[in-house]
Amino acid sequence: MSGPEARTTRWISNAYRALARALPRSYRDTYLRESLHDLNALLERERAGGNAGRELWVGLRALADLLQRIPREWLARGAALGRPTTMGEGFMNALNEIRLAARALSRRFGFTTVAVLTLALGIGANVAIFAVVDAVLIRPLNYPESQRIVTIMHHAPGLDLPDLENSEGMLRFYWQNAPFLSSLAGYDTRDANLTGGDRPARVQTVRVTPQIFDVLRTQPALGRPFNEADAAEGAAPVAILTHAEWVDRFGSDPGILGKTIALDGVTTEIVGVMPDHFSFPDPDAAALLPMHVDPNGEFGTFGIGGVARLGPGITLAQAQQRIQELQARLPSFFPNDEVTPEFMKSSGWAVSVEPLRKRMVGDVASALWIILGTVGFVLLIACANVANLFLVRAESRQKELAIRSAMGAGRARLASLFLSESVLLGLGGGAVGVALAWAGVRLLVSFGPHDLPRLNEVGVDGRVLLFAAALSVLAGFAFGALPLLRRSAFGVATALRDQGRGSTSGRERHRTRNVLVAGQIALALVLVVGSGLMVRSFQHLRSVDAGFDPTDVLTVGLSLGDVESLPAAARFYQRAADQAAALPGVKSVGVTTAIPLGTGNWNGGSFHIESKPRADDQLPPVAMYKAVGPGYFEAMGMTLEKGRTVKRSDIEDGVPVAWVNETFARTLLDGDALGQHIRWSNGADSSWAEVVGVVKDVREFGLTQPVRAVAYLPLVTGGWGFPHLNVGFLVVKADRDPSALVQPIRDIIRRLDPNVPVTTTSTMGEVVSRSMRQTSFTLVLLGIATLVALFLGAIGLFGVVSYVVSQRTREIGVRVALGARPDDIRTMVLRQGVGVYVTGALVGLAGAFALTRLMGTLLFQVSATDPVSFVLAPTVLLAVAAFATWLPARRAARVDPMEALRAE
Amino acid sequence: MDASSFQPLKPAWFHILLALADGAQHGFAIRSRVEERSGGSVKLWPATLYGSIRELSEAGVIEALEGEDDPDDDQRRRYYRLTKLGRELLRAEADRLQGLVDAARGSRALQRT
Repeated sequence: MSGPEARTTRWISNAYRALARALPRSYRDTYLRESLHDLNALLERERAGGNAGRELWVGLRALADLLQRIPREWLARGAALGRPTTMGEGFMNALNEIRLAARALSRRFGFTTVAVLTLALGIGANVAIFAVVDAVLIRPLNYPESQRIVTIMHHAPGLDLPDLENSEGMLRFYWQNAPFLSSLAGYDTRDANLTGGDRPARVQTVRVTPQIFDVLRTQPALGRPFNEADAAEGAAPVAILTHAEWVDRFGSDPGILGKTIALDGVTTEIVGVMPDHFSFPDPDAAALLPMHVDPNGEFGTFGIGGVARLGPGITLAQAQQRIQELQARLPSFFPNDEVTPEFMKSSGWAVSVEPLRKRMVGDVASALWIILGTVGFVLLIACANVANLFLVRAESRQKELAIRSAMGAGRARLASLFLSESVLLGLGGGAVGVALAWAGVRLLVSFGPHDLPRLNEVGVDGRVLLFAAALSVLAGFAFGALPLLRRSAFGVATALRDQGRGSTSGRERHRTRNVLVAGQIALALVLVVGSGLMVRSFQHLRSVDAGFDPTDVLTVGLSLGDVESLPAAARFYQRAADQAAALPGVKSVGVTTAIPLGTGNWNGGSFHIESKPRADDQLPPVAMYKAVGPGYFEAMGMTLEKGRTVKRSDIEDGVPVAWVNETFARTLLDGDALGQHIRWSNGADSSWAEVVGVVKDVREFGLTQPVRAVAYLPLVTGGWGFPHLNVGFLVVKADRDPSALVQPIRDIIRRLDPNVPVTTTSTMGEVVSRSMRQTSFTLVLLGIATLVALFLGAIGLFGVVSYVVSQRTREIGVRVALGARPDDIRTMVLRQGVGVYVTGALVGLAGAFALTRLMGTLLFQVSATDPVSFVLAPTVLLAVAAFATWLPARRAARVDPMEALRAE
Repeated sequence: MDASSFQPLKPAWFHILLALADGAQHGFAIRSRVEERSGGSVKLWPATLYGSIRELSEAGVIEALEGEDDPDDDQRRRYYRLTKLGRELLRAEADRLQGLVDAARGSRALQRT
């Protein structure tokens, strides 16, 4: 055969052969050879007739015939094997399968309950944490194209100022020079007294420049946004309420526009209400106020948040590069300022843009991801337990399987039997797990750290349910597939042989189970090590010397709103303190503008030291100060290292004085502090203050934050006063639990001025534990996960050893009959457990070594490879494992040989 | 099995059974006879032909002759013949069709003048 005609034949017959591969094998074996023979005969006949076109047509017709026949052959084959032949039948078969599975599961109530609860624990934990992770880390913010919203931060590490926000001057600079930002807004938050109504309230207001509505692409739901005229100097005061505030305080009054409120005594007209989903910069905000930016604003004070929307087509990386390049123009933009090229170099001046979401979420991200990973481990351990249960069941069902397979059920059929059971179990566990997660999320939201960003958005919603469903099915497949991986599950011969006596083929299934349990131990060990590191961090945190004594100390926050006269404000606070000091049980009372580890007002920046005048090109030293009144050091339990404490005369007339902490004295005044004179350049008055005392370092800004150089100035002194006296705290040291003092102090304030709200009352103990909340939150979650993991792991080990013991009862009986002592038997059983434990522990230690370094940012004064944790964790686990093995070992040692042999 | 359970018979099946009525045939011969008898209007392409042969074999209507190949013919050919059930089925179907044709003849609308 040759020539063009034969080529067509060959081409068609090759195509036919290729397409025929899609037919079931049984059909091909029986009929394909003849089919091809016939096809060739047909083609040859047409070719002999000399019609090449017809030959091709016949070939194509035969191919089409084959194509339409393929599905019918498969369906026919399926029907022969009990497979569905139509969609409807397929559906009915699936229902049938599920019914069978459900019936099989309900017959084994104990097994099903244990499996469902185990899975529910694992799935529930994952779903709850996923709900948090999804709301906090994954879901975009509630603004259009929110991924293009960025924040702008500046950095001057050379000045010990790692993070600076923006100043009026910097906003002006970017507005004029940064075309790659489509809009840029400044904002800051401050608390204000909202008066009118039955009780004065302290609310958070957000001052924003009018661009904010473009940056967030969010307009008021009612009324109008701010315009340039609102933000001009001396403009009539206007405000836009947040939705929550409008609902809570104004009862969703539809006629709210045009009404007025008093903020810090200033009558302000309401011109709008923001939509429900708006929560900028956080959900606490009650009202937006226009922010005025001085058109001649200098480089100045960096206290304004900067938020911008990237220009069209600009990526984050491009924006970062271009804004960094812009900084070179700063010296010429601020010719009258200190911003010289030398300043920029020595301060390490830098700028960064990062997504708003990242900024909002902050440090929490790593903790949440680690917790999600942790509960993922718990789920794996839970799955391993259920898989073990399944293996045991699969063995006890060998006979049933053998019969099914002898009756013609293929591998696929048996697999679907197993998988429908396991997926059903997975879904059952998922359903209970979602209920657990729902409760867990509510607990998390009410007890989680309040400063967890976006916590208000956390809930069990459609996405979370979808995750739960996917996880359940996945888990079901994971542990259901395991018994299928072992071929013996299908072998009739194996099944029958395994029923026989003295069989050794059980070894393979013990190995599978041992591997599972070793894996559980490894996973549990990683978690125990992680928890150990957190416990050690927490210990270190607790033992940090905060520099003050929180015992029986109450702090009461007061807010004066607008302060017209600093001396009058100071007098008000001091009068309140004096009256509080007269209450029974009070040892001492002092006023301050900021409490350690808490909130309040600080001031500061670069300052001068009289004895060390600096040259013009030299960087000034930088330090913060807060204001204190007489009795503060005593009430806070601080230690005066040198000099004298605050006297009443210091806040009445007196010459300007100051106290510094040890770090200040050591690093900035060469340890020789007393008698030195210091002066802050941005103080209202430029008089020199004499250092009259040195106090022990206090962790003012956080237990994990390094101590910084700080100074303490009197509330007012001579003609000078601390510039932010709108907020003050009474610090009250009592001789017993101070909570009984809250109401008497509230009464004192009301008598002094009914318009001054008490903003906070908390004991220093509460302040301290609040500051440790993120660590303790992580610790508690990790701890719970670890306990669950240990519990499940112990059950796994116990189950496996018990099962092996029960399988070997006869053998043990023979051994005892031949003279083995109970000790020998116990050792024999324990040895099995130990082998599994050691393998798992080694793998787990390696895993922990690799994984705990991810915890870096969560740890405090503990290395990720802390030897104590790495030695203690396997010990704890060994104790648990020993207990789990000891119980069945004891039972084995008590085997009565007569009974064991009779039982067979 | 009762022959009537297969009725009415698919046309392709009827033609195949009819082709085997005179004795065992191989696949290609079946195809040729069907095409011939139907005047070229019924063509059994290979996949349909052997698919039908498989179905008819599984239904027990025809059977393959093992080891009784015609020595003169191609080694690859397998012969099929009607089973007893197949013969009954063919007769029953022919009767049914006959009945239909008779009924049609009795109808006035179809009477030829």
